[in-house]
Amino acid sequence: MQKILRELIQEKNKTKGASQWNIAWRRFKKNKTALAGFFIIGIIIFMAAFDSLIAPYGPNTIPGFYSGETRAPPSSKYLFGTDYVGHDVFSQVVYGASSALFVGFAAALIVMLLATVVGVVAGFYGGIVDNILMRITEIFLVIPFLLILLVFLKVITALAPSGGGGLFMVTLMIGIFSWAANARIIRGEVLRVKEQEYIEAATALGATKTRIMIRHILPNVLHVIIVLTTLMIATAILVEAGISFLGFGDPNAITWGQQLQKASEAVKEAWWEGVFPGLFITLLVLGFTLLGNGLRDSLDPRLRE
Amino acid sequence: MNKELLRIEGLKTYFDTWAGIVKAVDGVDIEVIEGETLGLVGESGSGKSVTALSIMRIVPSPGKIIEGKIIYKEENLLEKSEKALREIRGKEIAYIFQDPSTSLNPVLTIADQLLEVILAHQEISKKEALEKAIELLKLVEIPDPDVKIWNYPHQLSGGMKQRIAIARAIASQPNLLLADEPTTNLDVTIQAQILELMQNLRKRLGMAMILITHDMGVVADIADRITVLYAGRVCESADTKTIFYKAKHPYTQALLTAVPSLALRTDKLKVIPGNIPNLIEPPSGCRFHPRCEYAIEKCTEKIPELIEIEPGHKVACFRALEINLESPLGGAKNN
Repeated sequence: MQKILRELIQEKNKTKGASQWNIAWRRFKKNKTALAGFFIIGIIIFMAAFDSLIAPYGPNTIPGFYSGETRAPPSSKYLFGTDYVGHDVFSQVVYGASSALFVGFAAALIVMLLATVVGVVAGFYGGIVDNILMRITEIFLVIPFLLILLVFLKVITALAPSGGGGLFMVTLMIGIFSWAANARIIRGEVLRVKEQEYIEAATALGATKTRIMIRHILPNVLHVIIVLTTLMIATAILVEAGISFLGFGDPNAITWGQQLQKASEAVKEAWWEGVFPGLFITLLVLGFTLLGNGLRDSLDPRLRE
Repeated sequence: MNKELLRIEGLKTYFDTWAGIVKAVDGVDIEVIEGETLGLVGESGSGKSVTALSIMRIVPSPGKIIEGKIIYKEENLLEKSEKALREIRGKEIAYIFQDPSTSLNPVLTIADQLLEVILAHQEISKKEALEKAIELLKLVEIPDPDVKIWNYPHQLSGGMKQRIAIARAIASQPNLLLADEPTTNLDVTIQAQILELMQNLRKRLGMAMILITHDMGVVADIADRITVLYAGRVCESADTKTIFYKAKHPYTQALLTAVPSLALRTDKLKVIPGNIPNLIEPPSGCRFHPRCEYAIEKCTEKIPELIEIEPGHKVACFRALEINLESPLGGAKNN
């Protein structure tokens, strides 16, 4: 009895001053799979940050080429083996991390900015504004995403003398063509929030529309935006790998997708050439997906234990 | 002293729904005198809340104010621009909602919510505003205001939240407070505390208040005057004592009879037969006639006007003077 009481008091003290974020963090810490996702992402970010220290060979060196060790199997010298021209696969995988992260974060940033603005404005103002914005959104939803992306990249590469904007252009294109679904989800959430009484109360207290949108609606849909962002990062990384694999990526950047493509020519003879970059794509995407799902569970204010 | 603060004339607020036009408020006349408490009484769906929301012009879609005048301090609020209205909302007229757990934003701290109103209407620094917010919490009798101000709504109890909502409403010392069933969602002991607090604050700050409720006990306690609404129209309006002891409208009479009272010592509670009418196609003539035991043919044909039968006592009933209702509270002898 005493013990239970003490635990109750402890629990109560813990709750003191707990904001929604504190509660979310406590719930997140209990979620083992989400923590695993967090850990995987941490490792890959570490890899990207210290790539030149971790990689045994430089990004553009071909150590295996001169010694005749092309497509050499994994060994103590080449941890993940070498590829068709003699690149060290391990080094290439390490250098690929920053590309993957850049594409993931930058594309998700573009997507979420567009989706949030469109979703919040459409949901909040409703009527004709909503109608126009949602029809535009639908246009983006029905066009075959990957196909149009490849066409645009091809056209831009053909038009630009220096072969396009490289990885940044790929990222920008992914961003521009994948905001629509997220905008719809955010709009739906805004529609729910704007009917809440506290929005009416804010109006009754003399708040302006802009203020209500930014100060009252946005924080109440933020949990959805955060979750969608993490999941979007995962999607963008996958899409970029797909584009690179199809040969439409930035030829000057080291990306896991391109390594996969080169490896696909010799899957039987040199499995290590493809398996390792593929493994890291999977790991990173898995990391963000786990994190996203964990965040969804811990940020949803309706799921309060 | 008896200066008029607010006068509503012939207010009509309709909701254009897929089922038809709901005439939620259909020609309501109300007056509020400076510094008084007006009880706005009626069943659910009688148009009490919609009337109050119309005053602030925050009727939710698809509701629209069709016609009428809302004269506040000699200016018609219905002719004001949205920008001019913002200067009135929260500063001149403030609203207290029924359920404090939904009328406070869950993701903002109490400080955020109070500062928002204070800074919207007063040109003071953030630090001064914070001090003012703590003062407000003291005024609504929140214990440890400098700690509680950093809490989120979900960390406070229902009564405490309603105190916060009241603090937020009085932040800019409005002249008129609209309280929409402010105690309905609280338990009885807290109800009494909140009502007492509101009454004290009203007197201290010299505000007028429109108290919307369906609880006759609540208005008996704190209202100076009472206006009874039925199906979007005013039935009767008079000072509290007159309503309770010398009501002239059968509906008012029925409402009073339906209040459980220890004084009456009856076994069965009397109820008003039937429901509030469909407001898409309201009954012809007097809207109460299908449920009224005194109805005559004239009641089904013509809509009775609100007539002043004594100074300050208005009734909308053709038979007000002939049927001689007896108050269930044994009114006549009290006079």
